[in-house]
Amino acid sequence: MPPPRLELRRVSKSYRNGAQTVEVLHDISLDAAAGTITALLGRSGCGKTTLLNLAGAMDFPDAGEVRIDGRATTSLSDAELTALRRTRVGFVFQFFQLLPTLTVLENVELPLLLAGARNPAAAARDRLRWVGLEEKAASLPYQLSGGQQQRVAIARALVHSPDLLIADEPTGNLDTASGDGVLALLREAASRFGAAILMATHSAEAAAIAGTRVFLRDGRIQGIERS
Amino acid sequence: MKLLRTLILRPLRRDLTRTALTVLAVALGVAVVVAIDLAGDAATGSFRSSMQTLAGRTDLEIAANGGIAESLMAALTALPVDAKFAPVMEAQAVVPGVGSVPLYGADLMGDARVLPSKPLAARLRGGPLTFQVNGRAVRYETGAAVDGAGDFLVLDLAEAQRALDRFGALDRIAVTVAPGEDFAKVERAVRAVLPAGYLLNRPGARSEENQRMLRAFRWNLRVLSYISLVVGAFLIYNTISISVVRRRAEIGVLRAVGAARFTVLALFLAEAALFGVAGGALGVGLGRLLAQGTVGLIAGTVNALYTTSRPAAIALGAGEAWGGVLTGVLVALGSAFAPAREAMWVSPVEAMSRGAREHHASLRWRRGLAAGFVLAALAWAASRIDPVAGYPLGGYAAALLAIAAAALAAPALVLAVNRATRALTRRRAESLLAGRSLTASLARSSVVVAALATAIAMMASVGIMVGSFRETVTVWLDSQLRADLYVRPAVTPAAGEYPPLPRGIGRVLEAASGVEAVDLFSGVPFHYGGERATLGGGIMEIVRRYGRLRFLPGEDRDAILRSLPGADRAIASEPFANRHHLRAGDRIAIPLGARTVTLTIAGVYYDYSSSQGYLMLDRGTLLRYLPDQPATNAAVYLARGADAESARRDLERRTAGLGVTVAPNRALRQAAIEIFDRTFAITWALEAVAIVVAMLGAANSLLALVLDRRRELGLLRYLGASAGQVRGMILTEAAFLGLLATLLGLALGFALSLVLIFVVNKQSFGWTIQFHPPAALLVGAPALVWCVTVAAGLYPARVAASLRPADVIHEE
Repeated sequence: MPPPRLELRRVSKSYRNGAQTVEVLHDISLDAAAGTITALLGRSGCGKTTLLNLAGAMDFPDAGEVRIDGRATTSLSDAELTALRRTRVGFVFQFFQLLPTLTVLENVELPLLLAGARNPAAAARDRLRWVGLEEKAASLPYQLSGGQQQRVAIARALVHSPDLLIADEPTGNLDTASGDGVLALLREAASRFGAAILMATHSAEAAAIAGTRVFLRDGRIQGIERS
Repeated sequence: MKLLRTLILRPLRRDLTRTALTVLAVALGVAVVVAIDLAGDAATGSFRSSMQTLAGRTDLEIAANGGIAESLMAALTALPVDAKFAPVMEAQAVVPGVGSVPLYGADLMGDARVLPSKPLAARLRGGPLTFQVNGRAVRYETGAAVDGAGDFLVLDLAEAQRALDRFGALDRIAVTVAPGEDFAKVERAVRAVLPAGYLLNRPGARSEENQRMLRAFRWNLRVLSYISLVVGAFLIYNTISISVVRRRAEIGVLRAVGAARFTVLALFLAEAALFGVAGGALGVGLGRLLAQGTVGLIAGTVNALYTTSRPAAIALGAGEAWGGVLTGVLVALGSAFAPAREAMWVSPVEAMSRGAREHHASLRWRRGLAAGFVLAALAWAASRIDPVAGYPLGGYAAALLAIAAAALAAPALVLAVNRATRALTRRRAESLLAGRSLTASLARSSVVVAALATAIAMMASVGIMVGSFRETVTVWLDSQLRADLYVRPAVTPAAGEYPPLPRGIGRVLEAASGVEAVDLFSGVPFHYGGERATLGGGIMEIVRRYGRLRFLPGEDRDAILRSLPGADRAIASEPFANRHHLRAGDRIAIPLGARTVTLTIAGVYYDYSSSQGYLMLDRGTLLRYLPDQPATNAAVYLARGADAESARRDLERRTAGLGVTVAPNRALRQAAIEIFDRTFAITWALEAVAIVVAMLGAANSLLALVLDRRRELGLLRYLGASAGQVRGMILTEAAFLGLLATLLGLALGFALSLVLIFVVNKQSFGWTIQFHPPAALLVGAPALVWCVTVAAGLYPARVAASLRPADVIHEE
């Protein structure tokens, strides 16, 4: 069994809301190995997004530890965290989050450009070809359907071949057909690129492609299913 | 009211930095206008001479070009009217340790003492006072100090005539009509005994004449003070536009629940009015402080170039204060009207579609460009309009239209430059995102570019105008000041005053070693067409042989100057000719002493020393009509090979004790250029404020862009951007804005400089300025503005880099 790409050990996280402290996550532990898909399930407000932010090194736990490829996120400097996100982590969001002013190709190139790559176009075209949108390379995001935009977002998230892909409700804003297409791409991302995928979802179809399903309720793990 | 609180006031409180920046920008704009107005009033408000204050109420004043014969007093006092006639003389005296002070001759009933004004008495030690008049030292016992503001001395008339060597001559006669006497009868009786060339004025006439003389100067200064306000108007427009874009959804909801369109319009205009009131009130206070520092500068210019004026206290009355606040409110409402009207027409459905406004803006750039061309053509047409009542209104309109044209062309420029640099910017994430962000937020980035460009353009155009003017004056000085040495009275006269040289100075100068020729010049202040000018008499044959006076194109210098001696012919300086619509060949009737003389204008020559202008005769002709006119300065030409320095020393030795100074050519040029530079110092101060306002606008807008793109900036961090890259992106945007503004600003500045030089200046002051753009300024100023624009991006960049991505990525 390969070592886990992502490890969460007894992670807790609270937020202050005025005078009140609200515990969003409590004592969460889970792993995600290369080539696997883990789905986080639960009602809105159960802590899925917070957990994804911790897992993607965009936020830090109050207690416990988050490790990506064996390195604890709390032990890394800001520059190391940036480098980690550039090389090891990709993100997919419910509302696609493509930059409206950039073309499709430029959106996909962006992570490589930010990492200082010299010729990002070839890799970006390659990923666009993979998601079936190479002919849309020069289009602007608003000229694409929702499903197409999400496929571009997946191409962007995988352009730098990350070890870990964080997906927040990737089909939440799509119709069934588009959603199915996106899920197929995610499945392929895990199998073909070996990425560990951690996905928050409400959708049964999305949950069905995951090897591990983690049920969250009020910030606690209620149960874990493996298939 | 509740709507105003929730929709307008609350967001303003939340965004306190931006609110403060906008208020400060309006305040600076208003402050400059208030300061220039208050300082202008204070610096030029008091033309009443100390003597007028001393003499008390005067109903009429008798004057004449070249002075009044004292014999007139006998005829006046014999008139069967109940009126008092007070003869007055005016000159300058040099008091040791004090300097030049006015010396008045008045009827002191034969008092043989000199009476100092109270302020001057406080500076003197008491006892006998020795001072210089017309180069001679005189000594008097000091009498009781007299009331009156400023430093001055008063002598009895007979003593003054003796001291000034002007027996039988007066400068003015003040007429006071007794209470109960028929004013019109007195006026008729006085007029009947006056020779044809004498003038009978109401006492306010001199002050009115002064105000008229300063009209162009004050108008142009006032117009310059509006620059900051114009730049501030762009900022208000931008702030309200941002406000409308941000609250589109709220506007949609309001409209959906039944709010009238007018309510929406009123809400946003109320926001603008709040900025106007707050900025206006702050600006009035700030303006009062600025006026204190400005009054000295303006007074210096007025004294150096126009006339003696005693700066009065700065008076900020309720009218000025409310005027300042009202200016702030009107500018705010005017500039906010367009975005507020746009808010009014927002449909609830449209409000739901994000980015619609920016999309519209990018579609509208073609229309804007076309409108820009139309306004540019109108600007050109306006620049051709003749002055209206002496004001270059067409020039001002052309400048405003040109600014509007540039503002409308700004979106097209942003897009074009972005397109042109696309291949370059795409190589780095920061430049790619910065460039795209500017085009994406085209509506607001164009306004920032236009505001900055306006400030740069004003700076560039005024820079070109002043630089060209300076160069023109330098070249003119070169042709005008051809003599090797200049001799003039040691007193420091105010502009338009000509203290005399000692009689017989010509012979003294001619006898000095190395002297080849001496041109004696007499300057006489004279009144013509309700304005003041200078009548000059020079030895035209010497001017012809040694000088390089330049005449308007097509006029033969040699022939003109040859035609003057012995003939009733004159040459007019360009400003005089323009002011009174004269051309070569025209005839002009001027009162000279007791007569009215008709002179033929032989030619019009270039001159930049006085906007009031000169009318020059041959000295022989002048002395024919005004026989006792003393020379007021002398130009000394040395023989070829003579050593200027030893000649100067010899002249100084020969004129020692005569109360004159001998200045080499170089010193005179230097003094002229120093006055020139001092005159335009205030212009640069006004420009600097406009640039500061534009910077506030840039910082404000960049901050708004950062706050509105929080989610996008957060996303970049998710995609691997470092905090430094986010910071770099905002600074690159600032640099882009600065670059675009520089391009547009220089183009606009070039156009405005043509308007300033060939329309506004020509129509206001009457002189032709040669176009000489100062290269150093045109490179240095935009570079400075560009650096400051980038600096204006520092705070927004810091805000952008410190955003927490996890907090902002899910914001809607």
